[in-house]
Amino acid sequence: MDKENHSKKPVVISIFSLILFLVVWEIVCKGGLIDPVFMPAPSKIFARAVKLIGNGELMAHTFASTRRVMVGFMISSMVAIPFGIFLGSSRLFMAICDPFISLLRPLPSMSWIPLSLLWLGITETQKYSIVFMGSFAPSLLYIIEATKSIDPLLIRAARNLGASKLDVMREVILPGALPQIISGLKVMLGIAWTCIISAELVAAREGLGFMIMNGKEYFQTDTVMLGIVMISLTVMVIYVVLKKFERRLLPWTR
Amino acid sequence: MDTLNDQSKICVNTVTKCFSSKQGEVTALKDLSLDIRDGEFLVVVGASGCGKTTLINMIAGFDTPSSGEVLLDGKPVTGITPECGMIFQQYALFPWKTVQENVEFGLKMKRIPKSERKAIAAKFIDLVALNGFEKSYPHHLSGGMKQRVSIARALANNPEVMLLDEPFAALDAMTRQVLQEQLVRIYEKHKKTIIFITHSIDEALLLSSRIAVMTARPGRIAQEIINDLPYPRNADVQLSDNYMALKRKIWDSVQAEVLKSMEVETG
Ligand SMILES: Nc1ncnc2c1ncn2[C@@H]1O[C@H](COP(=O)(O)OP(=O)(O)OP(=O)(O)O)[C@@H](O)[C@H]1O
Ligand SMILES: [Mg+2]
Repeated sequence: MDKENHSKKPVVISIFSLILFLVVWEIVCKGGLIDPVFMPAPSKIFARAVKLIGNGELMAHTFASTRRVMVGFMISSMVAIPFGIFLGSSRLFMAICDPFISLLRPLPSMSWIPLSLLWLGITETQKYSIVFMGSFAPSLLYIIEATKSIDPLLIRAARNLGASKLDVMREVILPGALPQIISGLKVMLGIAWTCIISAELVAAREGLGFMIMNGKEYFQTDTVMLGIVMISLTVMVIYVVLKKFERRLLPWTR
Repeated sequence: MDTLNDQSKICVNTVTKCFSSKQGEVTALKDLSLDIRDGEFLVVVGASGCGKTTLINMIAGFDTPSSGEVLLDGKPVTGITPECGMIFQQYALFPWKTVQENVEFGLKMKRIPKSERKAIAAKFIDLVALNGFEKSYPHHLSGGMKQRVSIARALANNPEVMLLDEPFAALDAMTRQVLQEQLVRIYEKHKKTIIFITHSIDEALLLSSRIAVMTARPGRIAQEIINDLPYPRNADVQLSDNYMALKRKIWDSVQAEVLKSMEVETG
Protein backbone atom coordinates (compact mmCIF):
# COMPACT_ATOMS: atom_id res chain seq x y z
CA MET A 1 0.00 0.00 0.00
CA ASP A 2 2.70 2.35 1.13
CA LYS A 3 4.86 1.41 -1.82
CA GLU A 4 2.06 2.10 -4.30
CA ASN A 5 1.58 5.55 -2.87
CA HIS A 6 5.24 6.26 -3.27
CA SER A 7 5.31 5.28 -6.91
CA LYS A 8 2.01 6.90 -7.90
CA LYS A 9 2.32 10.24 -6.19
CA PRO A 10 5.06 11.75 -8.38
CA VAL A 11 3.14 10.84 -11.56
CA VAL A 12 -0.01 12.50 -10.24
CA ILE A 13 1.96 15.60 -9.28
CA SER A 14 3.59 15.70 -12.72
CA ILE A 15 0.25 15.49 -14.52
CA PHE A 16 -1.19 18.16 -12.24
CA SER A 17 1.71 20.53 -12.84
CA LEU A 18 1.41 20.06 -16.61
CA ILE A 19 -2.34 20.83 -16.54
CA LEU A 20 -1.76 23.87 -14.34
CA PHE A 21 0.90 25.14 -16.76
CA LEU A 22 -1.46 24.76 -19.76
CA VAL A 23 -4.36 26.44 -17.90
CA VAL A 24 -2.24 29.45 -16.91
CA TRP A 25 -0.89 29.71 -20.46
CA GLU A 26 -4.45 29.59 -21.87
CA ILE A 27 -5.71 32.24 -19.45
CA VAL A 28 -2.79 34.56 -20.13
CA CYS A 29 -3.35 34.31 -23.90
CA LYS A 30 -7.14 34.55 -23.78
CA GLY A 31 -6.90 37.57 -21.47
CA GLY A 32 -5.20 39.41 -24.32
CA LEU A 33 -1.97 39.83 -22.39
CA ILE A 34 0.07 38.33 -25.22
CA ASP A 35 -0.20 38.96 -28.96
CA PRO A 36 -1.37 35.63 -30.56
CA VAL A 37 1.26 35.99 -33.28
CA PHE A 38 3.91 36.10 -30.57
CA MET A 39 2.48 33.15 -28.62
CA PRO A 40 -0.79 31.35 -29.43
CA ALA A 41 -2.99 29.77 -26.74
CA PRO A 42 -2.72 25.97 -26.24
CA SER A 43 -6.29 25.61 -27.51
CA LYS A 44 -5.26 27.26 -30.80
CA ILE A 45 -2.30 24.88 -31.15
CA PHE A 46 -4.61 21.97 -30.40
CA ALA A 47 -7.11 23.16 -33.01
CA ARG A 48 -4.26 23.39 -35.56
CA ALA A 49 -3.21 19.87 -34.62
CA VAL A 50 -6.74 18.55 -35.18
CA LYS A 51 -6.86 20.24 -38.58
CA LEU A 52 -3.47 18.98 -39.72
CA ILE A 53 -4.15 15.48 -38.46
CA GLY A 54 -7.49 15.59 -40.32
CA ASN A 55 -5.87 16.40 -43.66
CA GLY A 56 -2.98 14.00 -43.00
CA GLU A 57 -0.28 16.67 -43.16
CA LEU A 58 1.01 16.31 -39.61
CA MET A 59 1.56 12.57 -39.93
CA ALA A 60 3.17 13.00 -43.36
CA HIS A 61 5.69 15.54 -41.99
CA THR A 62 6.41 13.48 -38.87
CA PHE A 63 6.84 10.36 -40.92
CA ALA A 64 9.14 12.11 -43.41
CA SER A 65 11.47 13.35 -40.67
CA THR A 66 11.42 10.04 -38.82
CA ARG A 67 12.19 8.12 -41.98
CA ARG A 68 15.13 10.40 -42.79
CA VAL A 69 16.57 10.06 -39.29
CA MET A 70 16.14 6.29 -39.31
CA VAL A 71 17.64 5.69 -42.75
CA GLY A 72 20.58 8.05 -42.18
CA PHE A 73 21.19 6.74 -38.72
CA MET A 74 20.95 3.07 -39.75
CA ILE A 75 23.47 3.57 -42.54
CA SER A 76 25.78 5.44 -40.20
CA SER A 77 25.55 2.74 -37.50
CA MET A 78 25.91 -0.10 -39.96
CA VAL A 79 29.17 1.38 -41.18
CA ALA A 80 30.37 2.65 -37.81
CA ILE A 81 29.88 -0.58 -35.81
CA PRO A 82 32.05 -2.95 -37.90
CA PHE A 83 34.51 -0.19 -38.76
CA GLY A 84 34.78 0.90 -35.12
CA ILE A 85 35.34 -2.66 -33.89
CA PHE A 86 37.98 -3.12 -36.53
CA LEU A 87 39.75 0.13 -35.65
CA GLY A 88 39.48 -0.57 -31.94
CA SER A 89 41.24 -3.90 -32.32
CA SER A 90 43.98 -2.88 -34.74
CA ARG A 91 46.56 -0.32 -33.77
CA LEU A 92 47.85 0.00 -37.32
CA PHE A 93 44.48 0.90 -38.86
CA MET A 94 43.70 3.19 -35.95
CA ALA A 95 46.92 5.09 -36.66
CA ILE A 96 46.05 5.33 -40.36
CA CYS A 97 42.51 6.60 -39.78
CA ASP A 98 43.09 8.71 -36.68
CA PRO A 99 43.86 12.03 -38.44
CA PHE A 100 40.69 11.85 -40.54
CA ILE A 101 38.47 10.99 -37.60
CA SER A 102 40.02 13.79 -35.57
CA LEU A 103 39.33 16.26 -38.38
CA LEU A 104 35.74 15.09 -38.95
CA ARG A 105 34.68 14.92 -35.34
CA PRO A 106 34.56 18.63 -34.42
CA LEU A 107 32.53 19.56 -37.53
CA PRO A 108 28.88 20.38 -36.75
CA SER A 109 26.51 18.69 -39.20
CA MET A 110 25.19 22.14 -40.15
CA SER A 111 28.49 22.93 -41.86
CA TRP A 112 27.84 20.13 -44.36
CA ILE A 113 24.48 21.48 -45.48
CA PRO A 114 25.68 23.91 -48.20
CA LEU A 115 28.11 21.38 -49.67
CA SER A 116 25.51 18.60 -49.62
CA LEU A 117 23.02 20.87 -51.40
CA LEU A 118 25.61 21.62 -54.10
CA TRP A 119 26.41 17.96 -54.56
CA LEU A 120 23.02 16.35 -54.15
CA GLY A 121 20.37 19.09 -54.45
CA ILE A 122 17.23 19.20 -52.29
CA THR A 123 16.81 15.43 -52.33
CA GLU A 124 16.22 12.64 -49.86
CA THR A 125 19.80 11.47 -50.36
CA GLN A 126 20.96 14.90 -49.24
CA LYS A 127 18.93 14.55 -46.02
CA TYR A 128 20.37 11.09 -45.33
CA SER A 129 23.87 12.38 -45.97
CA ILE A 130 23.43 15.17 -43.40
CA VAL A 131 22.31 12.67 -40.76
CA PHE A 132 25.19 10.41 -41.74
CA MET A 133 27.83 13.14 -41.59
CA GLY A 134 26.50 14.40 -38.28
CA SER A 135 26.42 11.06 -36.52
CA PHE A 136 29.13 8.94 -38.14
CA ALA A 137 32.32 10.32 -36.58
CA PRO A 138 30.97 10.57 -33.01
CA SER A 139 29.41 7.08 -33.30
CA LEU A 140 32.69 5.71 -34.49
CA LEU A 141 34.51 7.18 -31.49
CA TYR A 142 31.95 5.71 -29.07
CA ILE A 143 32.38 2.30 -30.66
CA ILE A 144 36.18 2.44 -30.63
CA GLU A 145 36.10 3.31 -26.93
CA ALA A 146 33.62 0.51 -26.23
CA THR A 147 35.83 -1.93 -28.11
CA LYS A 148 38.88 -1.00 -26.07
CA SER A 149 37.05 -1.54 -22.79
CA ILE A 150 36.76 -5.31 -23.36
CA ASP A 151 38.60 -7.41 -20.76
CA PRO A 152 41.69 -8.77 -22.59
CA LEU A 153 41.38 -11.97 -20.56
CA LEU A 154 38.16 -12.79 -22.42
CA ILE A 155 39.94 -12.37 -25.74
CA ARG A 156 42.69 -14.70 -24.52
CA ALA A 157 40.14 -17.24 -23.38
CA ALA A 158 38.40 -17.13 -26.76
CA ARG A 159 41.65 -17.51 -28.69
CA ASN A 160 42.62 -20.39 -26.42
CA LEU A 161 39.34 -22.08 -27.34
CA GLY A 162 40.25 -21.89 -31.01
CA ALA A 163 38.66 -18.59 -32.05
CA SER A 164 40.26 -16.82 -35.02
CA LYS A 165 40.79 -13.05 -34.92
CA LEU A 166 37.57 -12.58 -36.88
CA ASP A 167 35.72 -14.92 -34.49
CA VAL A 168 37.00 -12.83 -31.59
CA MET A 169 35.55 -9.67 -33.14
CA ARG A 170 32.17 -11.28 -33.74
CA GLU A 171 31.86 -13.47 -30.66
CA VAL A 172 33.70 -11.47 -27.99
CA ILE A 173 34.27 -7.83 -28.90
CA LEU A 174 30.87 -7.12 -30.45
CA PRO A 175 28.70 -8.62 -27.68
CA GLY A 176 31.08 -7.39 -24.98
CA ALA A 177 30.95 -3.84 -26.27
CA LEU A 178 27.25 -3.92 -27.12
CA PRO A 179 25.88 -2.36 -23.91
CA GLN A 180 28.25 0.58 -24.33
CA ILE A 181 27.64 0.79 -28.08
CA ILE A 182 23.90 0.98 -27.52
CA SER A 183 24.13 3.72 -24.91
CA GLY A 184 26.41 5.65 -27.27
CA LEU A 185 24.00 5.20 -30.17
CA LYS A 186 21.14 6.50 -28.04
CA VAL A 187 23.02 9.75 -27.58
CA MET A 188 23.77 9.77 -31.30
CA LEU A 189 20.10 9.36 -32.16
CA GLY A 190 19.40 12.67 -30.41
CA ILE A 191 22.14 14.25 -32.51
CA ALA A 192 20.67 12.70 -35.67
CA TRP A 193 17.39 14.48 -34.93
CA THR A 194 19.23 17.77 -34.54
CA CYS A 195 20.84 17.14 -37.93
CA ILE A 196 17.61 16.43 -39.78
CA ILE A 197 15.67 19.33 -38.32
CA SER A 198 18.45 21.76 -39.23
CA ALA A 199 18.63 20.33 -42.75
CA GLU A 200 14.87 20.67 -43.15
CA LEU A 201 14.89 24.22 -41.80
CA VAL A 202 17.38 25.16 -44.50
CA ALA A 203 15.90 23.39 -47.51
CA ALA A 204 13.13 20.80 -47.75
CA ARG A 205 9.69 20.13 -49.21
CA GLU A 206 8.37 18.12 -46.28
CA GLY A 207 9.24 17.12 -42.74
CA LEU A 208 8.75 18.71 -39.33
CA GLY A 209 11.56 21.20 -39.92
CA PHE A 210 9.91 22.26 -43.15
CA MET A 211 6.52 22.52 -41.41
CA ILE A 212 8.00 24.84 -38.78
CA MET A 213 9.76 27.02 -41.37
CA ASN A 214 6.66 27.15 -43.56
CA GLY A 215 4.50 28.10 -40.56
CA LYS A 216 6.87 30.94 -39.84
CA GLU A 217 6.57 32.24 -43.44
CA TYR A 218 2.79 32.61 -42.97
CA PHE A 219 3.02 33.93 -39.39
CA GLN A 220 1.23 30.77 -38.22
CA THR A 221 2.85 30.63 -34.80
CA ASP A 222 0.50 27.79 -33.81
CA THR A 223 1.92 25.63 -36.62
CA VAL A 224 5.45 26.49 -35.49
CA MET A 225 4.64 25.53 -31.89
CA LEU A 226 2.89 22.35 -33.03
CA GLY A 227 5.99 21.36 -34.98
CA ILE A 228 8.19 21.87 -31.93
CA VAL A 229 5.89 19.83 -29.69
CA MET A 230 5.69 17.11 -32.34
CA ILE A 231 9.50 16.78 -32.54
CA SER A 232 9.64 16.38 -28.80
CA LEU A 233 6.85 13.77 -28.72
CA THR A 234 8.30 11.77 -31.62
CA VAL A 235 11.77 11.56 -30.06
CA MET A 236 10.19 10.54 -26.75
CA VAL A 237 8.21 7.73 -28.36
CA ILE A 238 11.29 6.50 -30.22
CA TYR A 239 13.25 6.35 -26.95
CA VAL A 240 10.55 4.27 -25.28
CA VAL A 241 10.52 1.83 -28.21
CA LEU A 242 14.31 1.71 -28.16
CA LYS A 243 14.38 0.87 -24.45
CA LYS A 244 12.19 -2.17 -25.07
CA PHE A 245 14.45 -3.19 -27.91
CA GLU A 246 17.57 -2.69 -25.80
CA ARG A 247 16.34 -5.14 -23.15
CA ARG A 248 15.79 -7.73 -25.87
CA LEU A 249 19.28 -7.23 -27.25
CA LEU A 250 21.01 -7.47 -23.86
CA PRO A 251 19.31 -10.35 -22.05
CA TRP A 252 22.33 -11.06 -19.84
CA THR A 253 22.25 -7.64 -18.20
CA ARG A 254 18.86 -8.35 -16.64
CA MET B 1 68.36 -36.96 -24.25
CA ASP B 2 66.57 -37.76 -27.49
CA THR B 3 64.52 -40.52 -25.92
CA LEU B 4 63.46 -38.21 -23.11
CA ASN B 5 62.23 -35.64 -25.62
CA ASP B 6 60.35 -38.32 -27.49
CA GLN B 7 58.33 -39.17 -24.42
CA SER B 8 57.59 -35.66 -23.27
CA LYS B 9 54.35 -33.96 -24.19
CA ILE B 10 55.69 -30.53 -23.39
CA CYS B 11 59.33 -29.56 -23.23
CA VAL B 12 60.33 -26.21 -21.80
CA ASN B 13 63.87 -25.76 -23.04
CA THR B 14 66.16 -23.23 -21.23
CA VAL B 15 63.55 -20.51 -21.38
CA THR B 16 64.38 -16.99 -20.28
CA LYS B 17 61.73 -14.29 -20.13
CA CYS B 18 62.44 -10.62 -19.52
CA PHE B 19 59.84 -7.90 -19.19
CA SER B 20 60.80 -4.31 -19.73
CA SER B 21 58.63 -1.83 -17.91
CA LYS B 22 58.94 1.76 -16.73
CA GLN B 23 60.74 0.56 -13.62
CA GLY B 24 63.35 -1.17 -15.76
CA GLU B 25 64.02 -4.70 -16.89
CA VAL B 26 62.60 -7.63 -14.91
CA THR B 27 63.88 -11.14 -15.53
CA ALA B 28 60.89 -13.29 -14.65
CA LEU B 29 62.38 -16.64 -15.75
CA LYS B 30 66.03 -17.53 -16.20
CA ASP B 31 67.09 -20.64 -18.15
CA LEU B 32 64.12 -22.64 -16.96
CA SER B 33 63.88 -26.22 -18.21
CA LEU B 34 61.03 -28.59 -17.52
CA ASP B 35 59.67 -31.72 -19.15
CA ILE B 36 56.07 -32.82 -18.84
CA ARG B 37 55.24 -36.36 -19.89
CA ASP B 38 51.97 -37.43 -21.50
CA GLY B 39 49.29 -38.17 -18.91
CA GLU B 40 51.15 -36.51 -16.08
CA PHE B 41 49.51 -34.29 -13.45
CA LEU B 42 52.24 -31.77 -12.76
CA VAL B 43 51.74 -29.21 -10.03
CA VAL B 44 54.03 -26.18 -9.97
CA VAL B 45 54.48 -24.48 -6.60
CA GLY B 46 56.49 -21.37 -5.89
CA ALA B 47 56.54 -18.08 -4.05
CA SER B 48 54.41 -15.19 -5.27
CA GLY B 49 56.01 -13.36 -8.17
CA CYS B 50 58.46 -16.13 -9.07
CA GLY B 51 57.11 -16.41 -12.62
CA LYS B 52 54.55 -19.23 -12.49
CA THR B 53 51.99 -17.36 -14.55
CA THR B 54 54.69 -16.29 -16.97
CA LEU B 55 55.63 -19.95 -17.45
CA ILE B 56 52.08 -21.18 -18.06
CA ASN B 57 51.35 -18.24 -20.40
CA MET B 58 54.29 -19.27 -22.55
CA ILE B 59 53.10 -22.87 -22.72
CA ALA B 60 49.66 -21.60 -23.81
CA GLY B 61 51.32 -19.38 -26.41
CA PHE B 62 49.98 -16.13 -24.94
CA ASP B 63 53.55 -14.94 -24.58
CA THR B 64 56.84 -15.77 -26.31
CA PRO B 65 60.13 -16.54 -24.54
CA SER B 66 62.94 -13.97 -24.74
CA SER B 67 65.26 -16.91 -25.39
CA GLY B 68 64.86 -20.68 -25.40
CA GLU B 69 61.76 -22.46 -26.63
CA VAL B 70 58.67 -24.39 -25.62
CA LEU B 71 57.95 -27.60 -27.52
CA LEU B 72 54.54 -29.23 -27.73
CA ASP B 73 54.78 -32.77 -29.12
CA GLY B 74 58.28 -31.84 -30.28
CA LYS B 75 57.13 -28.80 -32.27
CA PRO B 76 57.89 -25.27 -31.08
CA VAL B 77 54.97 -23.23 -29.77
CA THR B 78 54.76 -20.05 -31.84
CA GLY B 79 51.20 -18.85 -31.30
CA ILE B 80 48.17 -19.49 -29.13
CA THR B 81 47.67 -23.24 -28.84
CA PRO B 82 44.09 -24.52 -28.48
CA GLU B 83 45.60 -27.97 -27.78
CA CYS B 84 46.35 -26.57 -24.32
CA GLY B 85 43.04 -25.67 -22.68
CA MET B 86 43.53 -22.86 -20.18
CA ILE B 87 41.57 -22.40 -16.97
CA PHE B 88 41.99 -18.97 -15.41
CA GLN B 89 41.77 -17.97 -11.77
CA GLN B 90 39.26 -15.27 -12.79
CA TYR B 91 37.12 -17.83 -14.72
CA ALA B 92 37.03 -15.68 -17.90
CA LEU B 93 33.50 -16.80 -18.80
CA PHE B 94 31.65 -14.82 -21.46
CA PRO B 95 29.03 -12.85 -19.49
CA TRP B 96 26.70 -12.57 -22.50
CA LYS B 97 26.58 -16.32 -23.05
CA THR B 98 24.58 -18.82 -21.03
CA VAL B 99 26.31 -21.72 -19.30
CA GLN B 100 25.52 -23.91 -22.26
CA GLU B 101 26.72 -21.39 -24.84
CA ASN B 102 29.94 -20.92 -22.87
CA VAL B 103 30.57 -24.67 -22.82
CA GLU B 104 29.77 -24.89 -26.55
CA PHE B 105 32.11 -22.06 -27.47
CA GLY B 106 35.15 -24.10 -28.55
CA LEU B 107 32.94 -26.45 -30.56
CA LYS B 108 31.26 -23.52 -32.28
CA MET B 109 34.71 -22.23 -33.25
CA LYS B 110 35.36 -25.63 -34.84
CA ARG B 111 32.11 -25.16 -36.81
CA ILE B 112 30.57 -28.29 -35.32
CA PRO B 113 26.83 -28.44 -36.06
CA LYS B 114 24.44 -27.20 -33.42
CA SER B 115 22.79 -30.49 -32.44
CA GLU B 116 26.13 -32.18 -31.99
CA ARG B 117 27.42 -29.23 -29.98
CA LYS B 118 24.45 -29.43 -27.70
CA ALA B 119 24.96 -33.12 -27.04
CA ILE B 120 28.66 -32.69 -26.21
CA ALA B 121 27.98 -29.67 -23.99
CA ALA B 122 25.27 -31.60 -22.12
CA LYS B 123 27.78 -34.34 -21.38
CA PHE B 124 30.30 -31.97 -19.83
CA ILE B 125 27.72 -29.89 -17.98
CA ASP B 126 26.66 -33.20 -16.49
CA LEU B 127 30.26 -34.07 -15.64
CA VAL B 128 30.67 -30.93 -13.53
CA ALA B 129 27.18 -31.41 -12.04
CA LEU B 130 25.62 -28.20 -13.35
CA ASN B 131 22.46 -29.75 -14.78
CA GLY B 132 19.57 -27.34 -14.54
CA PHE B 133 21.79 -24.28 -14.99
CA GLU B 134 22.23 -24.58 -18.77
CA LYS B 135 20.23 -21.42 -19.45
CA SER B 136 21.73 -19.34 -16.62
CA TYR B 137 24.06 -16.44 -17.27
CA PRO B 138 27.44 -16.46 -15.43
CA HIS B 139 26.60 -13.55 -13.12
CA HIS B 140 23.85 -15.67 -11.56
CA LEU B 141 26.38 -18.35 -10.52
CA SER B 142 28.62 -18.65 -7.47
CA GLY B 143 32.41 -18.61 -7.86
CA GLY B 144 32.66 -22.39 -7.58
CA MET B 145 29.97 -22.90 -10.21
CA LYS B 146 31.67 -20.44 -12.55
CA GLN B 147 34.93 -22.33 -12.26
CA ARG B 148 33.08 -25.59 -13.01
CA VAL B 149 31.64 -24.00 -16.15
CA SER B 150 35.13 -22.93 -17.13
CA ILE B 151 36.41 -26.49 -16.61
CA ALA B 152 33.53 -27.91 -18.66
CA ARG B 153 34.19 -25.33 -21.38
CA ALA B 154 37.84 -26.36 -21.60
CA LEU B 155 37.05 -30.09 -21.53
CA ALA B 156 34.32 -29.85 -24.18
CA ASN B 157 36.96 -28.56 -26.56
CA ASN B 158 38.85 -31.82 -25.94
CA PRO B 159 42.34 -30.38 -25.42
CA GLU B 160 45.26 -32.73 -24.96
CA VAL B 161 46.70 -30.62 -22.17
CA MET B 162 44.93 -28.64 -19.49
CA LEU B 163 46.62 -25.61 -17.96
CA LEU B 164 45.26 -24.32 -14.66
CA ASP B 165 46.65 -21.14 -13.08
CA GLU B 166 45.62 -21.08 -9.41
CA PRO B 167 42.08 -22.02 -10.44
CA PHE B 168 40.72 -22.52 -6.92
CA ALA B 169 42.56 -19.71 -5.12
CA ALA B 170 39.52 -17.44 -4.96
CA LEU B 171 37.17 -20.13 -3.63
CA ASP B 172 36.23 -21.02 -0.06
CA ALA B 173 37.84 -24.13 1.50
CA MET B 174 34.79 -26.37 1.14
CA THR B 175 34.12 -25.54 -2.51
CA ARG B 176 37.81 -25.90 -3.22
CA GLN B 177 37.85 -29.42 -1.81
CA VAL B 178 34.85 -30.47 -3.88
CA LEU B 179 36.43 -29.11 -7.05
CA GLN B 180 39.79 -30.73 -6.26
CA GLU B 181 38.05 -34.11 -5.97
CA GLN B 182 36.17 -33.49 -9.23
CA LEU B 183 39.39 -32.57 -10.99
CA VAL B 184 41.14 -35.75 -9.83
CA ARG B 185 38.18 -37.79 -11.08
CA ILE B 186 38.30 -36.00 -14.44
CA TYR B 187 42.05 -36.63 -14.62
CA GLU B 188 41.64 -40.34 -13.95
CA LYS B 189 38.74 -40.70 -16.39
CA HIS B 190 39.92 -38.55 -19.31
CA LYS B 191 43.68 -39.12 -19.03
CA LYS B 192 44.66 -35.57 -19.85
CA THR B 193 48.08 -34.08 -19.29
CA ILE B 194 47.60 -31.43 -16.62
CA ILE B 195 49.76 -28.53 -15.48
CA PHE B 196 48.39 -26.93 -12.36
CA ILE B 197 49.77 -23.91 -10.52
CA THR B 198 49.18 -23.29 -6.85
CA HIS B 199 50.51 -21.64 -3.71
CA SER B 200 49.22 -24.45 -1.54
CA ILE B 201 51.46 -27.40 -0.74
CA ASP B 202 48.47 -29.44 0.43
CA GLU B 203 46.71 -28.81 -2.86
CA ALA B 204 49.86 -29.89 -4.68
CA LEU B 205 50.06 -33.12 -2.67
CA LEU B 206 46.36 -33.92 -3.14
CA LEU B 207 46.34 -33.53 -6.89
CA SER B 208 49.72 -34.16 -8.45
CA SER B 209 51.58 -37.10 -9.84
CA ARG B 210 54.67 -34.90 -9.77
CA ILE B 211 55.55 -31.60 -8.14
CA ALA B 212 57.94 -28.95 -9.44
CA VAL B 213 59.14 -26.35 -6.95
CA MET B 214 60.23 -23.04 -8.46
CA THR B 215 62.99 -20.81 -7.16
CA ALA B 216 62.50 -17.17 -6.25
CA ARG B 217 62.67 -14.73 -9.16
CA PRO B 218 64.25 -15.15 -11.64
CA GLY B 219 62.36 -18.43 -11.69
CA ARG B 220 63.90 -21.79 -12.37
CA ILE B 221 62.94 -25.27 -11.24
CA ALA B 222 64.50 -25.81 -7.79
CA GLN B 223 63.35 -29.36 -7.28
CA GLU B 224 61.14 -32.00 -8.86
CA ILE B 225 59.40 -34.49 -6.61
CA ILE B 226 57.48 -37.59 -7.66
CA ASN B 227 54.21 -37.87 -5.76
CA ASP B 228 53.28 -41.56 -5.66
CA LEU B 229 50.61 -41.33 -2.97
CA PRO B 230 47.67 -43.55 -3.92
CA TYR B 231 44.49 -41.99 -5.36
CA PRO B 232 41.92 -41.14 -4.04
CA ARG B 233 43.84 -39.06 -1.55
CA ASN B 234 41.33 -39.22 1.27
CA ALA B 235 41.82 -38.50 4.96
CA ASP B 236 43.71 -41.79 5.51
CA VAL B 237 46.30 -40.85 2.91
CA GLN B 238 46.56 -37.31 4.26
CA LEU B 239 47.40 -38.63 7.73
CA SER B 240 49.96 -41.17 6.50
CA ASP B 241 53.67 -40.86 7.27
CA ASN B 242 54.40 -40.78 3.57
CA TYR B 243 52.26 -37.66 3.11
CA MET B 244 53.92 -35.94 6.04
CA ALA B 245 57.40 -36.76 4.77
CA LEU B 246 56.61 -35.38 1.30
CA LYS B 247 55.06 -32.29 2.78
CA ARG B 248 58.13 -31.63 4.91
CA LYS B 249 60.40 -32.07 1.88
CA ILE B 250 58.44 -29.61 -0.26
CA TRP B 251 57.98 -27.18 2.59
CA ASP B 252 61.74 -27.01 3.23
CA SER B 253 62.40 -26.34 -0.41
CA VAL B 254 59.67 -23.70 -0.77
CA GLN B 255 60.60 -22.02 2.50
CA ALA B 256 64.20 -21.58 1.43
CA GLU B 257 63.03 -19.89 -1.76
CA VAL B 258 60.50 -17.66 -0.02
CA LEU B 259 63.21 -16.50 2.38
CA LYS B 260 65.51 -15.81 -0.53
CA SER B 261 62.85 -13.76 -2.32
CA MET B 262 62.23 -11.73 0.84
CA GLU B 263 65.94 -11.02 1.15
CA VAL B 264 65.99 -9.79 -2.41
CA GLU B 265 63.06 -7.48 -1.72
CA THR B 266 64.40 -5.98 1.52
CA GLY B 267 68.08 -5.93 0.58
N1 LIG C 1 53.51 -8.00 -18.52
C1 LIG C 1 54.46 -7.81 -17.59
N2 LIG C 1 55.20 -6.69 -17.62
C2 LIG C 1 56.17 -6.47 -16.70
N3 LIG C 1 56.47 -7.31 -15.70
C3 LIG C 1 55.75 -8.45 -15.61
C4 LIG C 1 54.71 -8.76 -16.55
N4 LIG C 1 54.17 -9.95 -16.22
C5 LIG C 1 54.85 -10.36 -15.13
N5 LIG C 1 55.81 -9.48 -14.77
C6 LIG C 1 56.75 -9.63 -13.65
O1 LIG C 1 57.32 -10.91 -13.73
C7 LIG C 1 57.40 -11.51 -12.46
C8 LIG C 1 56.71 -12.84 -12.45
O2 LIG C 1 55.32 -12.63 -12.61
P1 LIG C 1 54.26 -13.81 -12.59
O3 LIG C 1 52.92 -13.20 -12.76
O4 LIG C 1 54.65 -14.84 -13.57
O5 LIG C 1 54.42 -14.39 -11.12
P2 LIG C 1 53.58 -15.53 -10.40
O6 LIG C 1 54.55 -16.55 -9.93
O7 LIG C 1 52.47 -15.98 -11.26
O8 LIG C 1 53.02 -14.74 -9.14
P3 LIG C 1 51.67 -15.01 -8.33
O9 LIG C 1 51.90 -16.22 -7.52
O10 LIG C 1 51.55 -13.78 -7.46
O11 LIG C 1 50.58 -15.14 -9.30
C9 LIG C 1 56.82 -10.52 -11.47
O12 LIG C 1 57.89 -9.85 -10.83
C10 LIG C 1 56.05 -9.55 -12.32
O13 LIG C 1 56.12 -8.26 -11.78
MG1 LIG D 1 50.32 -15.85 -11.14
